[in-house]
Amino acid sequence: MTRSTRMTLAGGAAALALALAGCGAGQAEAPEPAGGDSGNASGDAGGAECPVEVDEEIDTSVRIAFQPIPNGDLVVKDLGWLEACMPNASIEWIQFASGGEVIQAFGSNSVDLGLVGSSPATKAASPPVSVDMQVIWIHDVIGEAESLVVQEGAGETLADLAGKRVAVPFASTAHYSLLAALEREGMTAQDIELINMAPDAMLAAWGRGEIDAAWVWAPTLPRLQETGTIILSAAETAEAGAPTFDLAAATTEFIEANPEFMQTWTAVQDAAVQLVQDDPEAAAESIAVELGITPDEVLPQLEGYVYLTAAEQAEQYFDGQMAQALADTADFLVTQNEIDEVAESYEGAVFSDAIRQVAGQ
Amino acid sequence: MRTREDSVHPGRVIREQARRGARSLDSPTAYERGHRGPAGRTTVSEAGGGDSAAVPPAGHAPQQDDDLGQTLKVAEDHRRSTRRGRTRRRMLQAGVLVVVVALWWLVTALELVPPLYLPSPGAVWEAFVRANTCYPLAEGSDRIICGEQGYYLWGHLLASLQRIGIGVGVAILLGPVVGYLLATVEWMGTAFEPYLNFLRSLPPLGYIGLLIIWFGIGDLSKNWLLFLAAFPPVVIATINGIRGIREDRIHAAQSMGANRWQVSTQVVLPSALPEVIGGIRIATGFAWTTVVAAELNAGIPGIGGLAYVSGQQLKTALTIACIIVIGLAAVALDALIKRLGGILVPWYGKA
Repeated sequence: MTRSTRMTLAGGAAALALALAGCGAGQAEAPEPAGGDSGNASGDAGGAECPVEVDEEIDTSVRIAFQPIPNGDLVVKDLGWLEACMPNASIEWIQFASGGEVIQAFGSNSVDLGLVGSSPATKAASPPVSVDMQVIWIHDVIGEAESLVVQEGAGETLADLAGKRVAVPFASTAHYSLLAALEREGMTAQDIELINMAPDAMLAAWGRGEIDAAWVWAPTLPRLQETGTIILSAAETAEAGAPTFDLAAATTEFIEANPEFMQTWTAVQDAAVQLVQDDPEAAAESIAVELGITPDEVLPQLEGYVYLTAAEQAEQYFDGQMAQALADTADFLVTQNEIDEVAESYEGAVFSDAIRQVAGQ
Repeated sequence: MRTREDSVHPGRVIREQARRGARSLDSPTAYERGHRGPAGRTTVSEAGGGDSAAVPPAGHAPQQDDDLGQTLKVAEDHRRSTRRGRTRRRMLQAGVLVVVVALWWLVTALELVPPLYLPSPGAVWEAFVRANTCYPLAEGSDRIICGEQGYYLWGHLLASLQRIGIGVGVAILLGPVVGYLLATVEWMGTAFEPYLNFLRSLPPLGYIGLLIIWFGIGDLSKNWLLFLAAFPPVVIATINGIRGIREDRIHAAQSMGANRWQVSTQVVLPSALPEVIGGIRIATGFAWTTVVAAELNAGIPGIGGLAYVSGQQLKTALTIACIIVIGLAAVALDALIKRLGGILVPWYGKA
């Protein structure tokens, strides 16, 4: 064996060892350590201060699904509040790109609690999926953040879009908002040429003029807005009685086994909403870290959502209205062949104890 | 050249052996390196010339020196031309790279395409550097963040390498065993080979959802997917390697009294190994093409997951940086396996 071959073998062995050790090394060395001395990087619990009462009794372990959507959940994650408030609990954050993935994770028992849009949440709670989970929180009510943007000269009202090609990600909250808006105009999906498209694919189609309009969210929405105009938004459909949400849901099994965790989790989320309302700049910084954009880009996005405190949620939505909203969404999903049938009741899919407790404090 | 002479009567064979002895004495360097140029041959026939001359007569020494010099020169020329050829090939390859990057730069510099569709090489480089360093959140902000999606780029790459290491590693351990059984036990081959082809043709994106339901959304389902992608190529290569062995080799070993175990370990295994290593290279390449599919769901950290997520967030420069990193890592890994294969199986391409 020559020297060079021996070196290659050694290199190969080293590479293999590195690859096998990769998990520990890559994840441990990732940004977290930088948090210690230079402000608090993501998930850094060391310097975090709990905004509510610290509960050292809680020693459960929880797997939380999160999504890059600008709301209080990212503030909680970035500031390490859950870790600070429940120092003895083991908390694992797992990132997902869409509600569909989170539902998949719930279905395979890979997460205990997570953020989902109202459409995917309804889908999960309805036959045939029927995951045994409950809505525990409203992260945000979608407003201007999801809007119908129209190419220049393609029209100024929804009625003008008759026969035009409109893109939307199917089975999303935006899809629901669009169909609800069409219904209010006395139109149906057949009156426009509705096509299914992922947000990132819309951009190129828009640039080539292949679509006349799109109902979509950031970061695609501001790009389309550069050459198009917004004529409708989810805020208007919400006012008309068809609100769409980003919700938090947890498995019934986890909720029943961990009532204290649910209460602290809810209190922390409530504190995050208050921070977003009272000090949007501070909240925007945390959200910017998680989204990988600048705080200046986050601030206008925050205006596209409505954030509700526990007290507001208890009064406006967790008094029977949420179950109704889920049932309405289920009706829509049946028409889209996304679910087989509407569940008999969605009362059991809403968990309001923790919200009431936190609101009453 | 030898085979023809071998078939002649025994006397010739002995003479031939004598010649070979003479040749190795004549020009050891050239012979050892396996260069048998026309000059070398002339040397042999002249040196070992006459029918009776088994050992070269001493009087021929100056002539031999000349011949030796000639042989060395030929060998040197050959080496130099090989080296020159390699340099030329490298330059050609580098030239293509320079032209592609220059064209890319030109297209972006002239703003023929919006930067969102095709970011400039500089922007891609910046995204690459940024993903490997810490930087302030915004200008003037005292908040420092590191990497992308909470991990450095190399952390993402390492996570993917680890998944590939496990998936392909298990395939490398199991594949040859299964392949050996399918190739040597007839009923097994008949029973299972069609299913192997079935498995091989399944698109990873088609069944990743199923794996997630079965094995959860964590690393286990990803490792399974990569294993399922890597397993069939290794098995099929092993089968081909074993079936491709010339039967007379096995018969020769058996006629010399080798038992089944000896035939397996000393004839079948060494002969099939080059094919198996070829199969491992194909399997590893296939695992790389599968890594994005594996990491579409909850794939952070992971280089494929990062490419997908950054594409969704319209950070196209980062997407391109990820793709380039994936490509380079795949090429490097393949070169490593090829090199390791060359060391483990030095008879590759010569058997």
